[in-house]
Amino acid sequence: MALFVAKRLLMALATVLVVAVLAFLLVHAMPGSPGAVSLGAGASQDAIDQLNQQLGWNDPLFSQFFRWLGDAVQGNLGVSLIDGRSVSADLADRLPVTASLAAGATVLSAIIGIALGVTAAVRGGLLDQIIGGFVGLLVALPAFWVGIILVYLLAVQSSVFPATGYVPFEVSPQDWALSLALPVITLAVGGAAFIARQTRASMLEALQQEHIRTLRATATPTWKILYIHALRYASLPIVAGIALQFIGLFGGSVIAEQLFAMPGLGQAVQTSVSTHDAPAVQGVVVIATVVVVAVNLVLELATKFLDPKLRAS
Amino acid sequence: MIPSVAPAPADADQTASTTSAAAPRRRAGKAAPTKASRYRLFASPGAVAGLLWLAALVVASLTAPLWLPFKTEDQDFTAVLSGPTAAHLLGTDELGRDILSRIFAAAAGTLGTSLITVIVGVGLGTLLAMAAAGAERTEAVISRITEVMMSLPGTVIILAVIGAVGTNIPLIMAILGILMSAGIYRVVLGQAKSLQSQLYVDAAKVDGLSPVGISVRHVLPGLANTIVVQAALIFAVGMLIQAGLAFIGFGPPLPQPSWGGMIQGASQHVYDAPWMMVPTGAVLALTVLSANAIGNALGKAPNAAAPHLPSAAARRHRAQAVAAIAAAPAPKDADAQEAPGNGTLSVRNLSVGVDNGVGLVTGVSFDVAPGTVLGLVGESGCGKTMTALSLLGLLPSGVSVSGGQILWNGRNLAAATDKDMEGIRGRDIALISQEPMRALDPMFTVGYQLTAAIRRLRGMGKAEARSEARNLLEKVGIVDAQRILKTYPHQISGGMAQRVAIALALSGQPRLLVADEPTTALDVTVQAEILSLLRALVKDTGMSVVMVTHDLGVVADICDQVAVMYAGQVVENGKTAAILDNPRHPYTLALLAADPHANDADNMPERLATIQGQVPQPKDWPTGCRFAARCQFAGSACKDPVPLLASGTGEGLVRCVKADQLAVEGMDWLATDVPAARLLPISSQHTTAAHQHTTVIEKDLA
Repeated sequence: MALFVAKRLLMALATVLVVAVLAFLLVHAMPGSPGAVSLGAGASQDAIDQLNQQLGWNDPLFSQFFRWLGDAVQGNLGVSLIDGRSVSADLADRLPVTASLAAGATVLSAIIGIALGVTAAVRGGLLDQIIGGFVGLLVALPAFWVGIILVYLLAVQSSVFPATGYVPFEVSPQDWALSLALPVITLAVGGAAFIARQTRASMLEALQQEHIRTLRATATPTWKILYIHALRYASLPIVAGIALQFIGLFGGSVIAEQLFAMPGLGQAVQTSVSTHDAPAVQGVVVIATVVVVAVNLVLELATKFLDPKLRAS
Repeated sequence: MIPSVAPAPADADQTASTTSAAAPRRRAGKAAPTKASRYRLFASPGAVAGLLWLAALVVASLTAPLWLPFKTEDQDFTAVLSGPTAAHLLGTDELGRDILSRIFAAAAGTLGTSLITVIVGVGLGTLLAMAAAGAERTEAVISRITEVMMSLPGTVIILAVIGAVGTNIPLIMAILGILMSAGIYRVVLGQAKSLQSQLYVDAAKVDGLSPVGISVRHVLPGLANTIVVQAALIFAVGMLIQAGLAFIGFGPPLPQPSWGGMIQGASQHVYDAPWMMVPTGAVLALTVLSANAIGNALGKAPNAAAPHLPSAAARRHRAQAVAAIAAAPAPKDADAQEAPGNGTLSVRNLSVGVDNGVGLVTGVSFDVAPGTVLGLVGESGCGKTMTALSLLGLLPSGVSVSGGQILWNGRNLAAATDKDMEGIRGRDIALISQEPMRALDPMFTVGYQLTAAIRRLRGMGKAEARSEARNLLEKVGIVDAQRILKTYPHQISGGMAQRVAIALALSGQPRLLVADEPTTALDVTVQAEILSLLRALVKDTGMSVVMVTHDLGVVADICDQVAVMYAGQVVENGKTAAILDNPRHPYTLALLAADPHANDADNMPERLATIQGQVPQPKDWPTGCRFAARCQFAGSACKDPVPLLASGTGEGLVRCVKADQLAVEGMDWLATDVPAARLLPISSQHTTAAHQHTTVIEKDLA
């Protein structure tokens, strides 16, 4: 087990490193030198050249990368070309927004998805078909469109929730929750549908296992067969599905943040890409990767822990 | 925003309609794969509607310049932000542009660029899977890489790419395809590997076909359906992502319309023109829905196995069937009236059938007295297991008792509700099944499973149940019971697992044990141990056993009584010794003649007999003798229904019009002529075809 964890940790580290190199190369392929981006359209070529020299733009690529990596390891992701703010500080402010959004959406999708999927598999018949149709519809709806509809219904028509904006938890936990509600629901619609399908399929597969018959042959109550034994068996693929969903939802936050004007990582990617703010793009790509890879690692270890075969070895 | 596409075809449908796909239908359902998938596609109304919608969209958008009422950039300032009107069927946007025209003008681009993602993603994913399926080392490398790819925040990376290359949509969709190929690889790999491990692929390798040749000729065709399914699903995902990108401002360069961009525009007017977001959103959702419907229809698992615990809907259905049986008047014939003594199982005229009407077991009767063992013998597909499972009310979904009685302690179990059966199962009648490893829950320890059953069935406390569990394990011959209690099923051997399964069956101190081929999956030496364990248990506890087997050695070893089953009927029954020494039915004769162990070493025949052909499908059962088609002695008298009659040996019964004649003439089942093809080094074509029809029965009986 320890060896397994060590291996996975190493893999995770390698993943982040590969992405860092990739992000670095992509950022270098962006149109416009950092000097030009930073000084804006009116700047003279001399000033641009001078700033580029100062930023080390003309150094060999690998020395630039290792300088960046050395700084990054110490928590310094450079300075924004646009407003001169520290990228690390900016992202540190933004991470909680996206993290609450993605975590909230993942938890909500998991709860709704598992409930729907289990119900469909266990009840069967007409209810199964209704849930199946409903889930199929949810999968096809674009998240941003769902978001607008929600805004229209719950914020414009009846002002239950604020239409846009984000209130930090420290300011007011209640407003924080209210401000998160619509974006979280928006993201969870598709996520819940995905997890519902995964859960239904896994539950049905679990119920096809022969040990279910043994349980019935020893007079195990139906609820216990369903919710202790079958759900336990189905939990492995369900947790794996949730892990995949978290990755999707973390990325999906770009849309939710844009739609609901939330100052999160997604908004940072969107603006920094639009403005060609190289250090900001690079920083946010790496931070997003670190978060996603870390959460994935934890959930993967959880899956392994759920499986007695892997736990023992 | 990049939905995870890995285990995509999760919508495999096993609802009520397909659960009735019980044993016979499942076997019948094997058609050519392409035919089946086309059938599935057109059988689903959603998929047909989806195909029509996509086709209409493509045609409408390609011919758009010919019929669209407005150019995409025509601005009508008299009708800004209008709802649907006669002039603007779907309304206008903030610049007075016609929404209908813009939707259809944008369609071709959206569909076309999404196709790029499909081609790159599915193509690359399939290629990687085929490469990996062929070589283990390649697989390790590719799987690692795809694992990494799947754990990346795809959206953020795509945005960074946009930063570098700009909003070059085809290029971005291609890169998206690369990112998504990892998920497709995972889906396709499993199937490619199983195709790659087929014997005919091995044969092709020996023939010197190159790995690429094998992939193209033998693996790729088998993947076709999966590839199409994935393509449809990825197409849908591609459209959603593309629209999402356009929504956050990374769509095709303005003023070119795009669906995502139009929804973005609409979102600015939620307050003053909420209508605006409806048409575009609906078209996008419909298109995605269409692609998904096609993918799901094709990906639907055609032969889904039946669940061992039917869904609530299926259970309600069965409860109605049981109520119907309970309501039916008891048969008047003499032997149904005599109530069996306590502890005797008496099956009367039992019929089991698929819910659509096909019978699997018809008119089966037998008695099992306390402390005796009854063997149900016959080839696969004769209804032995269905008969056995009906005793516990554990028939698979879609199969149920359709008539007759199962009398046990004055009750008719065939008409008992599931709730009533819960009081019988484990306590009165217990089950051990063929594959002990699969019969135990892999997620729980042996100890947990045993103590839970003991507590439930015997009402014991935790500590008491724990020590009883140890006693039981020792009783079934496990020496280090304390250690075994702590293990998981995968940590013990098959023989050990079967001992545990027997202990589990004994945990409720049952008086009848139903054993469904309990030794078939075990090594020969372990088989003997398990049989002697069962024999000892019968002696010690006085319980009776119904033993399903196709091994005549097992019958000779342990059974007091035998019922030989063929095609859903008992064809001969009686005392074991009488039947083995003096078989009367041609099928019994044939089974014995085909069993290598039934013949002594000194009079071992040169060739073992076989039974030509195979057990007919339930739907093909003739009205006359069901064995006639394969019988060496069949005559015209066999065309009429044959009753079970006294065989003349003890209280045995036999279902054969010629039984007496055969007995008088002392005829044996002969080893049939070996087809000439097997004797000659070179076979001619028609004789090999004939040979293929010869089912070699020894294999089944060994």
